[in-house]
Amino acid sequence: MISVLAADPPPPVDNTWAAPAIATAVALVLGVVVFALVRAARRGIRNPDDFLLADRRIGTGQNALAMVGGGIMYSTVIIITGHIALNGFDAILLLTAFTMSTVLAVLIYAAPMRNVGGHTLGDLFALRARERPARIASAVITLLIYAMFMIIALASIGLVATRMFSTRSTVDIPLVAGMVAVVGLMAILWVYLGGMSGVTRILVLKVALMVGFVAVLTAVVLAKYKLNLVDLLNDAEANAAPDRRGYELLTTGRLFGEGSTHASDQDPWVHLSKAFSIAVGALGIPFLFMRYFVATSGRDARRSAGWASMISVGFWLCMIILGLGAVAILGGNNIGLVPAHRDTTLPKLADDLGGPWASGMLGGIALLSVGAIFAVLLLNAVQSFTKDVNAARGRRLEPAAELKDIRRNVLVIGVASLIVGMAMLGQLTHILIPTSIDLGGACVLPAVVYSLFWRRFNTAGLMWTVYGGLAVTLLMVVFSNGVSGDPTALFPDADFKLVDFEPGLVGVPVGFLLGFIGTVTSRERNDAAFAEMQVRALTGAVIPAREELPATGGTDERDRESRTLSGAH
Amino acid sequence: MGTTGSAAAGDRYVAVYDSAQFKALRRRSNTFIIWASVAFYGWWLLVIVLAAFVPDLLRQGLGGPMNVGLLCILLSLALVVAISVAALRFARTRLDPLSEQIRADLEGDPR
Repeated sequence: MISVLAADPPPPVDNTWAAPAIATAVALVLGVVVFALVRAARRGIRNPDDFLLADRRIGTGQNALAMVGGGIMYSTVIIITGHIALNGFDAILLLTAFTMSTVLAVLIYAAPMRNVGGHTLGDLFALRARERPARIASAVITLLIYAMFMIIALASIGLVATRMFSTRSTVDIPLVAGMVAVVGLMAILWVYLGGMSGVTRILVLKVALMVGFVAVLTAVVLAKYKLNLVDLLNDAEANAAPDRRGYELLTTGRLFGEGSTHASDQDPWVHLSKAFSIAVGALGIPFLFMRYFVATSGRDARRSAGWASMISVGFWLCMIILGLGAVAILGGNNIGLVPAHRDTTLPKLADDLGGPWASGMLGGIALLSVGAIFAVLLLNAVQSFTKDVNAARGRRLEPAAELKDIRRNVLVIGVASLIVGMAMLGQLTHILIPTSIDLGGACVLPAVVYSLFWRRFNTAGLMWTVYGGLAVTLLMVVFSNGVSGDPTALFPDADFKLVDFEPGLVGVPVGFLLGFIGTVTSRERNDAAFAEMQVRALTGAVIPAREELPATGGTDERDRESRTLSGAH
Repeated sequence: MGTTGSAAAGDRYVAVYDSAQFKALRRRSNTFIIWASVAFYGWWLLVIVLAAFVPDLLRQGLGGPMNVGLLCILLSLALVVAISVAALRFARTRLDPLSEQIRADLEGDPR
């Protein structure tokens, strides 16, 4: 998923597809609708759990759509279409990795995470390890991934602005900066006003519009071919730009074959590792975990995850048809051969099939989509900051004070992020998404799996998994082709790269291994805590502790925890 | 650790954990997760390994534009739907009744 925001502006491209006036009108209408949604959500917010978790009352259908929404972003919709049009089979394989990853939520994450309760990953970790280090580990991993993803989310707003809100052939810097600032501030306002229920409604709206738009466009492509998929595939194959090594579009080779990666002898491992990392790591990104905590019950969380993965399959099947349809209808020479331009494919196709109205609609919906991702990320960061950091510092607030604290955090973190993100706009930040996904696989996946299933797991094991996985991944990223040794690297002129493959391929097994070593070398073990976690994770039961412990002023953890949880029933 | 402050509550969790009913629930759940994950990820890893190291197999034509590779991708997508349906169904029929019972016993008995 290489998004490109080149430090050197990409070579000019003749923008024949954008319909800025219509896109702006659509965006304004959506802005008004969203504002009405978050204002309506604001009325229901009385305490911190209302704000952070929508009082755990998000219904199955809404939650499923919102889960799908977390995966719909610039790279998985706009870029992937061009990627498929250029690289065919191998790009499709990469896309299916995203749908593969959704199964992890159904099988492992959703139900136990909701049943254990709480607000962040830290609530699960704290059941298996000492409270303070567990909370700090959760905050470190959540906020680090937030920092990386937030930069990409803001950069995506800039990319949408350039591609669909401007007809200039080069990057219109004042327009891009202005739109990032405006949409960023709007997103902060959405979170500030609507909290979790507002953000959920925005995601549902976004998914309904984006899935609807993509479905209609797919129907138009299929209608053009009179539902004859064989003709569509044949045309795609025939019209594709020829590969210099002679690989056909619909067979493997364009990315797996020797020489696919610049100055590297690590093919086919490069592409293999990308597919692997996405399939195991994409669902480990902390902001996607929020969706489990807001479900009404563990059963409901699982049901939402199941529906979400089925909807995702349908959605990405449409994207495959659109990618192949683009090359069949537009012809290979119309697909940007420079990576920086392949993300013009979907807007071009929309314009070709439906004229300016279609491309304008796509622009407006895409802007809402990327703005919503920033809002979701911000909410997740605030959640971790309020719950994990305060718990680690031993700070406990009254609900009213906590709600104020949360709202202040939204503004402070939001504005600070916006400033950092805008300062990074000109930088090459495309390695940040794959790195986040690698961390989801190397830190979050092993830590959660061990916490849920391994009786012996303890504080040392958690530390080794989280910080070890983090260190190994970041070390490999420093020596990867995203940082040096490649024309699109952070330092294109330097060359100290050693790894071209995705660090997740090594990071995930190493994360598991380190967690194992850390655990068995420590004498700490707590079978009672494991029993409690398992009973809670599998049944959702919580012993009504209030009756055993009349409010004693919250001297121990149990009391706080049970109050949080009983709010759910 | 952390949340097992109340010894009484902790003991009751342990008692439930050791009960035959919970052991059955736990075994059912874990068995399903392990088999479903192994089958599912095993298949997917096989496909990407084949694409990387035995590309000629995936390039084998199946008439028209179809080939073995595209068939594998369609099967993978179908498998996502199948496994989601199976997991939800398994949980609804085999796990939920048992876990509901355990939960009712535990929560409905405040001593």
